[in-house]
Amino acid sequence: MIQFEHVSKRYGERLALDDVSWRMNEGERVCVLGHSAAGKTTLLRLITHETQPTSGTIAIGTLRGGRLSRAHRALLRRTIGVIYEDFRLLGDRSVFENVALAVRIAGHFSDSDVIPRTLRALEEVGLHGKQAALPGELSFGERQRCAIARAIVNRPAILLADEPTGALEPRSASEVLALLGRIHQEGAAVLLGTTRPEVAEAFGGRRIVLEDGRLREGGTPEHAFMPVPAPQSFEAPHAAQAPPAPYTGGA
Amino acid sequence: MHLFFWREAWRSFQAHRGLALTTVFSLAAALALAAVFLLVSWNASQALHWIGDRREMIVYLNDEAGETQVQSLQAKIGELYGTSTYVSRAQAWEEFNTQVGDPEILKAVGTNPLPASLRVRLKPALQNFAAMSECAKQLEQFPEVEAVRFGGEWVQRLDALNAGARRTAVAVGLLVALAMVFVLHNTLRLAVLARRQQVEIMIKLGASDGFVATPFVFEALLETLAAVLVALALVFGLQQALAQRLDGVTFLPIEWTLSFVGGALVLAWLASVAALGRILRTVGA
Repeated sequence: MIQFEHVSKRYGERLALDDVSWRMNEGERVCVLGHSAAGKTTLLRLITHETQPTSGTIAIGTLRGGRLSRAHRALLRRTIGVIYEDFRLLGDRSVFENVALAVRIAGHFSDSDVIPRTLRALEEVGLHGKQAALPGELSFGERQRCAIARAIVNRPAILLADEPTGALEPRSASEVLALLGRIHQEGAAVLLGTTRPEVAEAFGGRRIVLEDGRLREGGTPEHAFMPVPAPQSFEAPHAAQAPPAPYTGGA
Repeated sequence: MHLFFWREAWRSFQAHRGLALTTVFSLAAALALAAVFLLVSWNASQALHWIGDRREMIVYLNDEAGETQVQSLQAKIGELYGTSTYVSRAQAWEEFNTQVGDPEILKAVGTNPLPASLRVRLKPALQNFAAMSECAKQLEQFPEVEAVRFGGEWVQRLDALNAGARRTAVAVGLLVALAMVFVLHNTLRLAVLARRQQVEIMIKLGASDGFVATPFVFEALLETLAAVLVALALVFGLQQALAQRLDGVTFLPIEWTLSFVGGALVLAWLASVAALGRILRTVGA
């Protein structure tokens, strides 16, 4: 589904990714763990073609290598859901409009398409009661759930989450991770990037460790892909609190 | 086109009212200039048309030309050049008497020296100096014809005036088109920059260039429509003021007005599509 072959990325003098090779299969759950500036965001940006590799080949589904045209890049991004640390919501649009925008971008314009899809996604993340609110009126956790609703509303096969809990307090972070877990269980491949080992542990799945743009020093890709067990909660004290609505996206 | 894009355009128009109004007034200034020139052109063309209607050719006939020959000549002229009216020697003398009016001069002239003639109103396609000269040459070949006169000098001037008006119209049109392209390009660049974050998010979500650009194009069309209405209102006011001082100054006919509105909108559409194609490449990867 996603394959990196000897991919390097250089920003001027700085080498952000150095000869990275790895692969992610359909429906897999993968966590990219690494300190700040280790190359996690670069790796995610390479997948969405927001940036191009300096060398090496990247294959996403049937799209392999090379610089895509703007039209093909747009097409690729419509098949991938992305969640950002800073949410990237439109501040002057309601929660409903933020999520509905992704539906319209996917080419559905009639209310009979947009409204049910949007409401369903909002229900899945537990925000159906706040559809009229502006992002500024939501807590950080709710904003991230809104961003997740936007990312999953078109049922993408791949969900990328770049430090999705970075701006959240523990309870909200736990809820978001639980939600991502449910999305994965429904069949989507989920790739999460984080600097925090406890988040990686809570998320579970296969783990890639990035350090200064390379897979873990001294390790082979196989070592770096070492799976870890998936705990049920991010932080025990908050795990008992009410989780978001169950994910039923694969239905 | 989906209502969504019009809603987005209207939302942007309202969100950036200052920028939108500046654009409307800048475009209105350029369009008013074009509309004033159109008004002048329209009234000038009406005046030239009125003068052009009086372009006629006088075909002087031989004294020997009989009635049958003249009728045959009139038939040929009708077929090839235009409609003709026969003026007998007596009619020509009577007209001369009326025009001169002074009996002393008429007495000095003595007997009627004027020949019979045909007054030819040429077909519209022949109402220019080159065609009239050619017609005159051809008519002089007929045995019944003594001479042909058509006031070549003023016909040439009239033609030059017409050509000059057309050239000026093209030049003003080009200048206004350039001004519109300049204003729209800069306005759209500012509009995109003002909504850069939104545009970047949409691009990250997979929006095509067309999806991102369409609301901006619609916004440009709304602004142009407002500007063209302002320009026409200004020119209507000008025409009303002129009409009180000058007889016969009329407002643009409906076909010209609609063409002006349509032309401005088409130009705005082309300019904004071209501008956005460039601008969006600088926003988002």
